[in-house]
Amino acid sequence: MKELLNELLKEDKAFIHIPYGNGLFDIYKSVVITWIVIGILFLLILFLTRDFKVHNISKRQAAVESFVMWIRGVTGGMLGDEGVRYQDYMAVVLIFIAASNMVGLFGVTPPTMDLTVTAGLSLMSIILVEGAGLRKKGLGKWFKGFAEPMPVIAPMNILELAIRPLSLCMRLFGNILGATVIMELIKHVVPIIFPALLSVYFDIFDGAIQAYVFVFLTSLYIKEAVE
Amino acid sequence: MLNISLLSVGCTIFNLLLLFFVAKKFLFGRVDAILVKRMEEVDQATSEADEAERQALSTKKEYEDKIASIDVEKENILADIKKQGYEEYERIIGDAKKKGEQIITEARHNAEVENERAKEVYAAQLTDMVIDAASKIAATKHSSEDDKKLYDKFIIEAGVNNE
Repeated sequence: MKELLNELLKEDKAFIHIPYGNGLFDIYKSVVITWIVIGILFLLILFLTRDFKVHNISKRQAAVESFVMWIRGVTGGMLGDEGVRYQDYMAVVLIFIAASNMVGLFGVTPPTMDLTVTAGLSLMSIILVEGAGLRKKGLGKWFKGFAEPMPVIAPMNILELAIRPLSLCMRLFGNILGATVIMELIKHVVPIIFPALLSVYFDIFDGAIQAYVFVFLTSLYIKEAVE
Repeated sequence: MLNISLLSVGCTIFNLLLLFFVAKKFLFGRVDAILVKRMEEVDQATSEADEAERQALSTKKEYEDKIASIDVEKENILADIKKQGYEEYERIIGDAKKKGEQIITEARHNAEVENERAKEVYAAQLTDMVIDAASKIAATKHSSEDDKKLYDKFIIEAGVNNE
């Protein structure tokens, strides 16, 4: 069992090793998997949105339209009226993380199990949050925002710039890692049937929940920033 | 396990942005285009329906006005016809009255003339009888008895003649 965990946790993540910077510029396997995920999503989008019509719509079009309406409603509801312009981005993040978490169903290691991917996602999130605040308030007000509700809090507010993406990144990474480790252990103990049932929970349900939590928190930060 | 590659982070961000732009262009863009088109169509249909309703209302008003004016016209015509009828009636009645009066007058006149003539005839007869009686009296010698007989005879004759 120890070897299994070692194999899972200490494996070499590099897909393409770049002999410069001591592995700091390696292309990881997780990134390659996100390429595949994104490629599949591209194809899916292109296939699903093919020849849309205004009248006599196909079932496919009706499904896509109601899905778009629904996911916009979900993210728009979390962002509030002020931040509603970011709903499409949040919807894309939701779809991307959910899809990434669910590749475990096909026996692939989820890319979100790698800290690199979650770090990239949370970096984008904090850039979006602060960008939204800057755009809404302007530079002066944005700077003043750090001293609110009172100047004593300012160091905390500045620390939050790092804490928020770190917590987002670690939460997603830890949850998916934990789920995968538990799944591996269960597969080791009971090899048949039982893992399939739990996989439904860990890969689909937990994956969707983690994606939702990530998007929900980012939306909350944006809402807070643009208020 | 916890090591991080900056290039991989950059790749992830790039991937995410790429996915976002593709989704924005194809998924959201296409759906939005359809929704906008549909909205435009609905707006157009609504405005067309409003226009049609407005036209229908104005046409209805026009016809209502026409119907109202037709009623007035009908009343006028009826009143005219009634008036004419009354006039005709009055005229006919008047004519009839006049004619009747004329007839009555004529009849009266005729009766008078007739009467006059009868009187004349009677007077002529009476004259004849008187002359006759006078001549008879003159022709016969007469006593008081004869006179009495003669008077009786005259009266009888006159009565016979008069009958």
